[in-house]
Amino acid sequence: MSKVVACYKWVADEADLRIDADLSVDFSRVKGKISDYDKNAIAEAVNIATAWGEKAVGLTFGTAKAKQSVKDALSRGLEEGYWINADEAADADGAAVAKALAAVIQRIDDVGLVVCAEGASDTFARQVPSRIGAVLDWPVVTSVMKIEIAGNGLMTVRRLDDCMQTVKVQLPAVIAVLPEINTPPIPGLKAVMAAAKKPVHEFKGGDLGINFTPKTKAVEFKGYVMARKNVIFKEGEAADKVRELAAALRKEGVL
Amino acid sequence: MTRRRVGLFLTEEEKFDVIIVGAGPAGSACAYILAREGKSVLVIERGDTPGAKNVTGGRLYTYALELLDQGLHEEAALERKVIREQIMMLSGDRAITIDYHDPSFNEEGRPPMSYTILRGVFDEWLAGKAEEMGAMVACGIRVDELIERDGRIVGVVAGEDEMYADVVIAADGVNSFMAQRAGLIEDIKAETVAVGIKEVIELPAKTIEERFNLREGQGAARLILGCTEGIHGGGFLYTNKDSISLGCVFMPEEAGQKKKSVHEIFQDVKMHPSIYPLIEGGETIEYGAHLVSEAGFRGIPKKLFREGFLMVGDAAGFVINTGYSIRGIDLAIVSGIAAARAVIGAEGTAAAGPLYMEELKKIKLLPTMQAQDGFSDILETAWLYDKVPDLAADVFENLFTVTGEVPGSVKKDVMRLIRSNDLSAWQFIKLGFKGMRAL
Repeated sequence: MSKVVACYKWVADEADLRIDADLSVDFSRVKGKISDYDKNAIAEAVNIATAWGEKAVGLTFGTAKAKQSVKDALSRGLEEGYWINADEAADADGAAVAKALAAVIQRIDDVGLVVCAEGASDTFARQVPSRIGAVLDWPVVTSVMKIEIAGNGLMTVRRLDDCMQTVKVQLPAVIAVLPEINTPPIPGLKAVMAAAKKPVHEFKGGDLGINFTPKTKAVEFKGYVMARKNVIFKEGEAADKVRELAAALRKEGVL
Repeated sequence: MTRRRVGLFLTEEEKFDVIIVGAGPAGSACAYILAREGKSVLVIERGDTPGAKNVTGGRLYTYALELLDQGLHEEAALERKVIREQIMMLSGDRAITIDYHDPSFNEEGRPPMSYTILRGVFDEWLAGKAEEMGAMVACGIRVDELIERDGRIVGVVAGEDEMYADVVIAADGVNSFMAQRAGLIEDIKAETVAVGIKEVIELPAKTIEERFNLREGQGAARLILGCTEGIHGGGFLYTNKDSISLGCVFMPEEAGQKKKSVHEIFQDVKMHPSIYPLIEGGETIEYGAHLVSEAGFRGIPKKLFREGFLMVGDAAGFVINTGYSIRGIDLAIVSGIAAARAVIGAEGTAAAGPLYMEELKKIKLLPTMQAQDGFSDILETAWLYDKVPDLAADVFENLFTVTGEVPGSVKKDVMRLIRSNDLSAWQFIKLGFKGMRAL
């Protein structure tokens, strides 16, 4: 069997975001973190690599700030860290990100599987896994909630709207996993310590020979406030209030 | 200064010279010195980042940083240098503020005497400095147990992992779990700790400077008396770069007997006509509560060490509350330095403990705490927390009231006000004697 690459994104921690009165979003106090869903992807990559008796490695594309992600990623059971350092990452679109990740995947020896999350916890655009598959010309399976090893391939279960689909896929392949696929373990002391001595490989964005110019561009980033109707039914008996509430909900199309 | 990186994994994978539990000022200062002097050091921090678990109000006396390394304060993550020392007394909706401004505290060419700090920022910076020196800092890890062999502490257990060291240093704060596991302290007693609550309220730097009469980079530190509904305790206010740290400290036993919760009392403080204009328009960006060690010198555990085990900072009870200032962060750093010196200087693990006590004396920490021990007696005086601020406000009211009537004798009025506040001159004389004896 061959190596498993877990792709992850270093995102702004939404807990630190502040939305000001004019709905502008204040990033000034924001710290970074590995996208929550990517922690599932990393854990799944490690699980499969362990079952194969192979290595799982991590890969991320980001600005210089993403460097601090590597130690965290490596404490989660990955053996080596690859990270692409590019200023362009700040406003890259899904196509550019996928091209960059694919370029490095091609430079890693003997990759059999790429595991991504279905989407990133900041934008959730769901572009990257499919686009990596397109660049590499590998099969892509998305919305995966279960993976089993089946001979030389993988048997995956996809969660669709109201049914499950079982898909067998040949390797090499790209798989996008859903959060319910596993519960990522919290790294222990030895794992955190071991992360500090694992090999880290840095690539400069400019060295990959990629045109990063985004074809989609974020024009505006704005907070929103949920508009509430603030209707209170307080007159009359309880039964009347319930009737009124039900009528109002029906009128709104909720019931 | 020579810096030597230690090949942590070149020898035994799971053995360090020193394991420090807690990456606060005490732990990081200790790690900084040890790593700088070539020891292999592992710092284990429970929070996801150093300082993440901290609630301290925030003032650092600069001498402690200078003791750690000269010039360190110039690059430290600090907020404002304190140029105004203020004491505020509240009585009902009245307030008296004493504002002491002394330019000699901040003369050119010398480090300013103290800075306000935000611990989340400062602790992360200091831990980063220790890492630069070669210490390993592992965050997001809780230490569950100590490992003991033949009566000696030889390591720690965190989850499923065991890690060994010649010395384990407890820098895990007030009510130290490590010290409890080592059998050096018992579970906390209600009378030795207070509960502190704090908010960080964000405001533009300019607004803060206008409201507190400061220039850019300058700050104020204020202690507040009479804001606790008579409960043994007080308030504090520190100006940060673009926020204000405002909090109250209460003795939990007395607070438990009140109808109002400490949260409600704190809310009243925020709405006080002399406090609210200072924080008006601000946004609370942080809220927290924590225990504070209150017993001073007499609160220090009988033994601060066992073979293979030392206690530093809040874990060792190193906090001084004089009523006009609170010190803890500087003492934490200083005790961390003392512990590092002891570990470096000791021949064999058995020698480190006694040497640590020597270093604590040499570095003037224990003598300082002993010298200020008497404040605990004074601060035990129950009527300090309501009647004194009431009386002071009554006296000022008397002095400043002009109605066109013939004023009475100030001396007589003061005596009348003392009586009307259920106090007697004799109580003041007794307190004075107590103070003289204690200090």
